[in-house]
This record gives sequence, C-alpha cells and structure tokens, in this order.
Amino acid sequence: MINFIIIFNRQGKIRLTRWYQYSTDKQKASLSQDVVTQILARKRGMCNILELDGRREARGKAIYKRYASLFFCFGIDWNDNELSGLEVLHKYVECLDQYFGNVCELDIIYNYSAAYQVMDEMLLGGHAQETNKKIVVKHCKGFDKLEESDSIVHNLRASNIA
Amino acid sequence: MSMRGLTVFIADIRNCRVRELEEKRINKEMANIRTKFKEGSLSGYDKKKYVCKLLYMYILGWDIDFGHMEAVGLISSTKYSEKQIGYLGITLLMHENSDLVRLVVNSIRKDLEDNNEIHNCLALHAIANIGGREMAESLAGDVHRLLVSPNSKSFVKKKAALTMLRLFRKHPDVIPAPDWAERITNIIDDYDLGVCLSVTSLVTALAQQYPESFMMAIPKAIMRLHKVIVERDFSADYVYYKIPIPWLQVKLLRLLQYFPPTEDPNMAEMLHNVLQTIINNSLETPRNVQHNNAQNAILFEAINLAIHLDCESDIVRQATTILARFILSKETNVRYLGLETMAHLAAVTDELDEIKKHEETIILSLRDKDISVRRRGLDLLYSMCDVSNAKTIVSELIRYLHIADYALREEMVLKIAIMTEKYATEHSWYVDVILQLISSAGDHVGEEVWYRVVQIVTNHENLQEYSAKMVLHYMRSPHCHENMLKVGGYILGEYGHLIANLPGCSPIEQFNTLHARFGLCSLATRALLLSTYIKFVNLFPEIKGAILAVFNQYRHVLDAELQQRACEYMAIATMPTDDLLQTVCEEMPQFPERESALLSRLNEKTGQTEDKRTWNIGGKDSNEKTPANLLAAKERNENGSVDDLVAGVSNASLGTTAGGEGEDGSAASAANGGASSTPAASSAASASSKPAGLSWKDQLAPGSEKWYNRLRDGSDGVLYEDSILQIGIKSEYHGHLGRLAMYFGNKTHTQLGSFTVTVDSPEGLVVASSHTLATSIGPSTQIQQLYSLECQQIVTEVPMIRISYHAGSTQSIYLRLPVTLTRFIEPIQLSSADFFARWKQIGGPPREVQEVIKVAPDRIDLEKARSILVNNRLGICENVDPKPGNFVATGVFNTSMSGKVGCLLRLEPNKETDMYRLTVRTTSDVVSKHLKEILQTALLYNPNHTR
Repeated sequence: MINFIIIFNRQGKIRLTRWYQYSTDKQKASLSQDVVTQILARKRGMCNILELDGRREARGKAIYKRYASLFFCFGIDWNDNELSGLEVLHKYVECLDQYFGNVCELDIIYNYSAAYQVMDEMLLGGHAQETNKKIVVKHCKGFDKLEESDSIVHNLRASNIA
Repeated sequence: MSMRGLTVFIADIRNCRVRELEEKRINKEMANIRTKFKEGSLSGYDKKKYVCKLLYMYILGWDIDFGHMEAVGLISSTKYSEKQIGYLGITLLMHENSDLVRLVVNSIRKDLEDNNEIHNCLALHAIANIGGREMAESLAGDVHRLLVSPNSKSFVKKKAALTMLRLFRKHPDVIPAPDWAERITNIIDDYDLGVCLSVTSLVTALAQQYPESFMMAIPKAIMRLHKVIVERDFSADYVYYKIPIPWLQVKLLRLLQYFPPTEDPNMAEMLHNVLQTIINNSLETPRNVQHNNAQNAILFEAINLAIHLDCESDIVRQATTILARFILSKETNVRYLGLETMAHLAAVTDELDEIKKHEETIILSLRDKDISVRRRGLDLLYSMCDVSNAKTIVSELIRYLHIADYALREEMVLKIAIMTEKYATEHSWYVDVILQLISSAGDHVGEEVWYRVVQIVTNHENLQEYSAKMVLHYMRSPHCHENMLKVGGYILGEYGHLIANLPGCSPIEQFNTLHARFGLCSLATRALLLSTYIKFVNLFPEIKGAILAVFNQYRHVLDAELQQRACEYMAIATMPTDDLLQTVCEEMPQFPERESALLSRLNEKTGQTEDKRTWNIGGKDSNEKTPANLLAAKERNENGSVDDLVAGVSNASLGTTAGGEGEDGSAASAANGGASSTPAASSAASASSKPAGLSWKDQLAPGSEKWYNRLRDGSDGVLYEDSILQIGIKSEYHGHLGRLAMYFGNKTHTQLGSFTVTVDSPEGLVVASSHTLATSIGPSTQIQQLYSLECQQIVTEVPMIRISYHAGSTQSIYLRLPVTLTRFIEPIQLSSADFFARWKQIGGPPREVQEVIKVAPDRIDLEKARSILVNNRLGICENVDPKPGNFVATGVFNTSMSGKVGCLLRLEPNKETDMYRLTVRTTSDVVSKHLKEILQTALLYNPNHTR
C-alpha cells in the first residue's frame, strides 16, 4: 500500500502531504525532510526508486517522479510493485492536469483542497480506488458545482443583508 | 475553495522571502484566528475560511494545536463546502489515537446512514484516513452494508471496500472476514473496473489472514485476468497508454501469489494463457515511458506469479531470458527491477545455473552509479549464492566493502557473514574470511557477527587451533579494530594453549599482544580482556606474575564493573590451591543450536510491511514460510492424515452416499461406521481432511435428496429446482471416464450475477470443467457446463458442488452429484462355470460382504430389483443361479491408476419374509462394502415415502 504521499518543489518546500500510515507529527517531519533531501540529491538517469532506511516509520521504498518544478513522491511497501505505483502517481498528475487545465505549482498552492479532493477520489487508505480519469474529474467537478451553489446562496444572503 | 481572505493569506506567505518573516506572518494569523474562535458566533463561511488557513499552515509544516473543534463542527454543516473542509480538516489533523475521534464518530455515522451518497463518501474518506479502534468497532457494520448492498452506487462501493481494508488492517478482530468472505469475493466480478480494483485490494488483505475462506477468489481472479488480458473485454475508459487497467492486472496477479497453485486443470490452463500472453506482449519495447512502465509493471508481477506457481516451468525459463536482457538495460528502473525479480527467482529455485551465467553482470551492478541498484545487486548475489560460487561472491563483496556506501556496509557485513557460514566447505576459509571481515569492516561489524564467530569456533573443535593462530596474527597488525580484540580475547582465553608451542605464540607473547591495546579499549572490552587474563592464569601459570600486576592495578579503577572483576580475579588467582580457579576456568561447553542471530538481525532490517511478503531475500530455506507455502504445507498435512485414517474415512463417506435415507448424513454414517472404527473417529477424519467439505454436507440444499435419489440410477433429469434456478444433468460413462453436462436455467426475469460453480471432488475422482462458465445468466436463459470425469482410484464419496449467484443478495446452493462408484462399472456377462470359478476364487470375508435387507411388507419387486442392478451398470447373468427369481450380476469397476476390480454378486429375494439377501464379492474389500451400500440404499428406497 501507499504509506504516504509528499509533494514538494525543487527548493524542498513541501506542497502537499497525505499520511496513510500512523506517525506522530515529529516522525512525519523528520521522515519527509529525509526523503526530500535524499530525492533532491539524486541525479538524472537514476531510477525512480529510493530505498528507505527501515526505521519503523521509514519502512519500504519511496518512488518519485519530477514534473516541471514539482516532485511527487509515494512511500510504498517493500513488497509493492514499484512501476504500478509510479503509474498511479502519473495518473494522479494527469487527473490534476485535466482538472485544473494545465496544472502548475500555483494551482496546488492556492487550491490545495481541490488537489486533496482529486487525490481522495483516486486513492483511499493507501490504495488505488479509481483510475478512470473521466470519472475522477467528473466527480470533482460535481463537488465544485455543489460548492458553487453554496456560495451563491451565501452571496444572496450577504446582499440581502446589505 | 474561492475565499478571498485565504487567497490573500497564501499570497502573503509566498511573499515572505525569509523564514523569519514567514514565521511572523504565521504567528500574527494564528493569534487572529485564536481570537476569532474565542469570540465565537462565527458564520459557517468564516469558520471554514479560518480552518482553511490553519490547514495551509499545517501543510507548510507549522504545528497546529487548535482549530480541531471548529473542523469537527463544520462536518455537521448542511452546506457541502463547509462539510467538505471540515472533513478535510479532520483527516489531516487527526490520527487514530486522537482524543477527538470520539467526538466525530456520531457525525460520521449520521453521514454514513444518510441517503446522500456524497455524504456517505465524505464519511468513508474520514474513516479510511483516521480509522482507529473506536471507529472500527462502531462503524464497520455500516461500511460493510455500503459495500455489499445492491443499492450502493459504484463510487460508494469502491470507497467502502478500501475503508473496510483500512479497518481490517488496523483492527482485524473487528471484521468477521470469514463470514463476509463470499459476498465480498463475489464483487470481484463487478462490471465496474474501479469497484473490482478496490475489492481486489481488500480481498488480497483478507485472504492473507484467512486463505481458506477466500479460496474462491482464485477462480475469480483468474477469470477476470483472462477476460481483460486474453479476451480483451474491458471498458475503453480504463485503457492506460494502450494497456487495459494495468493496476488491476497487477493486483490480481499479486492476489494469486498468496494462494497455492490452483488444482483445477482448466483454471491452470487459463492462467497459463494469461501469463503467456503477458510474456508475448512484452517482446516489444514501447517508446512511450508510461506505456513501457505499465507493461513492465504487469510483466514483473506476472514473472513473480510464475515463479511462485512453478519455478521450473517453461514460462519461468522464458522470463529468465527476459530478465537477463533487463539487467543490462540502459533504463535504470528496468535494471533495478530486473535484479530484484531475478533475486526472487534465485531465492526459490534449485536451478541457479541460468542465473549464474550472468554473475559477471550482477557483480558489475555493485558499481552502478545508483545506490538503489547497488542494493539490488547485493541482494541478488546473496540470494544466488551457493557452495559453488560462494568463494567468488564473498571475495567480490569483501573487495567492494571498502568502497561501498556507509548505509550499505552493515547489511553487507551481515550477509557476507551468513554466506560464509552457510557455504563454507573448508574451515580455514571460514576463519580467514570472517577475520578479514572483522578487520576491514571495523565499525560496521555488529555485535551479532562476532558473537556468532565465537559460537561457531566453540562448537567446532577443528577450527579452534587455526582461529587462535589467525586471530593472533590479525591482532598484531597496526590497525586492529576493537571487535578483533574481542574475538581474540575470547578465543585465546579458551584455546590459546593449543598454539602456545608455536613460534611467536608463547603465552607471554599472546598476553603482550592483547595487553598492548588494553588501554585504548572501551570499558566493555577491557572487562572481557580481564576475563581472558584469569583464564590465562589457569592455562599458563608461568605468566601469572605479569597478570597479577594488571589485576592489582585495576583493583583501584573507578569503573565498578572493572574493579569488581579485578578484585575477584585477584582473589581467585591468589588462593592457596588452584581448585576454584580450575573450576571457574573450565573450557566453555558447546553452544546449543539456535537460529543464527545474524539472520534474525537481517530479517529485522527488511521486515515490517503491510502485506505479507510473497518471498524473502536469501536462499530457498528463507522462503519456506511465505503465506502460500504455509497454506500448501497445511493442506499436505491434512491429506496425510487422511491416508492414515483410510478406514475411518471410507466409512464416513459411505454414510454420505447412503445419507439419502436418513434425516441427516451424520446419523447414517454413525450407523454404518461401527464396523471398523467408531463413528466419532470417522467423522473426525473427514473433518480434518476437508473442513469445507464437511460444512458443505451440513448445508445441502433442502429437498435436494429427492432429486438426488431419482438420478442415482444414472438417468438424466433435474438435480435441483427452486423459484429462481433450475439445474439439470446429463451424463454418460465409459470405463473409468465419464462426461457430465449440467444445465443452469434462470427462471427469473432478471440477470443472475456473480454466478459461480465450484466442484469439490473426492480424492481419486477428477472432475474438470472443459471450459469456463459464464459469470452471469441472463433472464430466462439457460447455460451449460460440461465436466469430464476420471476415476483414478477407488472412490467412496460423491462429488459435491456449490453454486452461488447474486440476485439481490448472494445465494449459495450445495448439492451432491450422483456420480457414485457404480458409474465406472462396465457390465459383463459370464457363463455359469466362469462365474462360479471366480466366485470361489475371491472367497469369503473381507472381500465378501453379505447383508440381509428387510423391506416394507409386500415391497419385494423383482422388476425393480432387476432395474436397480442394470442401472448400477451390472450385467445380469441369466440361468446361472439354479433358483429362478434369484439374480446373479457381474461387472468390472475401472480406475485409471489403481487398475480394475471385478465385481460379482448374488441377490436373493424372498417374498414370504419380505427380505433380500445380498452377497457381494469383489477383488477389493472397499469396493465390496461400498457396492453393497449403494445397492442396499437403492433397494430400500421408496419414492412414495420420500419427503
């Protein structure tokens, strides 16, 4: 299963995390720092798989891929199929791309909750739940409509009071 | 999430060029939010906005110690946008042990029970992300309902499956997995590939814990794979770079690795086709990275499965060729995975020759520029090591140790030590390597390594002298590591006397070598050396003086441990007699055999995964405890117990065949069991042989006896019928072979989904389906399934089938197939002379069985008796018995592996007393007994009296 997801940029700034394994905030901070440093130090042409050091919270492997300024990284079990994981990761990027329309780092910064929503539609509890891009994006857009109707009501109320 | 306040805040933070400024801005905002929350009476919108800001700070890595309550408040909002942020908040901020979990359980339950699916989904997300014991205990039932309910939409089902998986992983005791096994496994057939994907993950986890309850997942997984890969039946939306849903393929291939290979030849054939297709597909290398990755993901998983099924198969041979190409690939990922998969193969196969051909390439991979690849190379070398190549591999690894990454060294040392110990053919080689290792790897040598050396030297007398000599030699080198001193201290203390006569090894020289470094050692080592010295006092009285000086000096050191040792040793050494000294310093006894501490240390390093490992790094013996192997071993044991209790089983099964008469099978088996074993013993035997089988018998469909009895004479007709399903049967037999056609008719106007038929055939009878059965039956349609039968040995039980389908809910029907032993009899006609000659030849008991059968008044019916004999495929020999009305019948019972059994019998009806006397003589006492039972049951059977 996927134990954690960390999305960070070339400067090592973390943009999004999701922890499917149980870790304390302190462990999370030290592990993500570790993983980010190690991945940033890796050179082009090296494989997309990094073996973690085997501490309780750092078991298994990290698989990662760079897209423009962002690195997407999944922590997976020792046993897991690495390529399958890498392609789930790619699929997630594709879904973000479709949802935002040419996604960039700023989209993820300003609309982090949408990025989480896409993630939660694709992955749940560390396993892939839906890999059909159309369905994932359709659901997320559907949620946006619900949100929109909320805010229309909110605006109407606000103007009434005014 | 369009909130101006939030956008402005994020922009502010982004504008902070240095961390101090960011911290200032964050603190200011936190203070602001704290005040706002304290004031209370915030609108939902404001609450949402502030929670969003807090979440953003949290993502940036700042500690958030408030705002949880506001997030909890938001989840019960009626507005979607507020609810959604509330849920996002709790999934990020809370964990399974949070005190606040208690507060949200009720809101979550409300949302799970809501008719609004979107609320269901949000609630499921929360459980799947937080999922503590409290949630598991109070919500698992609701999650299960959403998973199996026919009213659940696909997108709810998917989430429910993965949520259940999470709860099971955390608290397996809360989920009654075996009870839910069937309904959950059936969902693998779901039309929606997303649902199938999620459920496969769930089943994979459950099956590791309860392999027996989830056996039915095997055919389901194989059929689904076949459908996607061979039949290419899938929805176009799920195609990923020309490959249909690679993730599902990978998961299904993985699932099968947790089970022993299927025994159904038809399934095995389908699976073989699947694997071959995958191998064939991989002959081309796609240009597109994604396409290539997806294809390889499947290929590697398929190879792993093929290795698991049979590591000497043709598929594995083809795979080895592919792997050989992969480890030379320019692409690092492929090289990495090639080495990893090859290590899997090396870890389980006996045939290392193919892999050894690539030894050079593999050794070169230790110098790859990527540490991940280097690690794989190391693991592969470790796995492929055997007696023939141990020397090369070990010397390569020792050479490489000097330049290896620090992160790798400890593991390397462990592995070298294990290989050396395991594959050493000469004692001197073991000592040389291990001492070289200790001297060159220095700090990376863990305690376990030198403990192990001491154990081995102590236990092998012929190592002692050589190692004492060598360790002394190493201790004289200028860069002697402290670990070497520890080994040296121990070994010289025990075996120093063995070399005392060699030049340069005199007692005082040994002592001086050790003591030269005494001052530079850690306290623990010094303590150890003091013990060596007292042993020296015992071994070499001539150097007592020098040693006593040391003890004397150390009586005054600050460290309590050293001081105590020095004082005590001093006292012992200066006693008037040497008695105590000799007793204390007696040679150490051998160590008891125990698991190598090295191996446990190594496993510790690579353990801890959520899924059980399908294989372990290392040789064959490291892999005997994988889940599927354990299961297979268990089955072997159970079958073994069957052989031991042949008599008991045959009696129990007779009871089953005769069970048509009694209210239940067990009463009948008790009645029949008495002869050679007690009924309790016989039922215990069948219980241990096939737990599933026994429960099947208990669950025979009500009323099925009626149809079964009607078909027992081998005719065609209805085997079962209810308001939904009608099952018909047609059969023909020839010698030891037979063919059986079953017809399944759907009587309703809706489709029956998840249709599965499983056959449980008794030992000795092979029932194979000739093609794959459809997984659903359309409204008012009939499908047909053909089975081929082969009687290999004497069978005393009939096959059972289990039919399950989904129509609103999952239904299961358990039936017996009327395939009795007599189906494999060929009738023959014998002349009077021949008959009696053979009759005499067989002789009396145990090969003769006689029974007087009393029937209801006036129920002696010669025509019926004749047809019973004919229907049981016996040839009636006319004019053999002098008394008209008596029957003499003969036949040959055929098996493919245990030869033929001649069957002769006489049936003497007596109308006056309403009795038949039946005498059966066959060349096998088991057959005699069983044939008698079958005929007796048939003669007693009265269709009018049957329920």
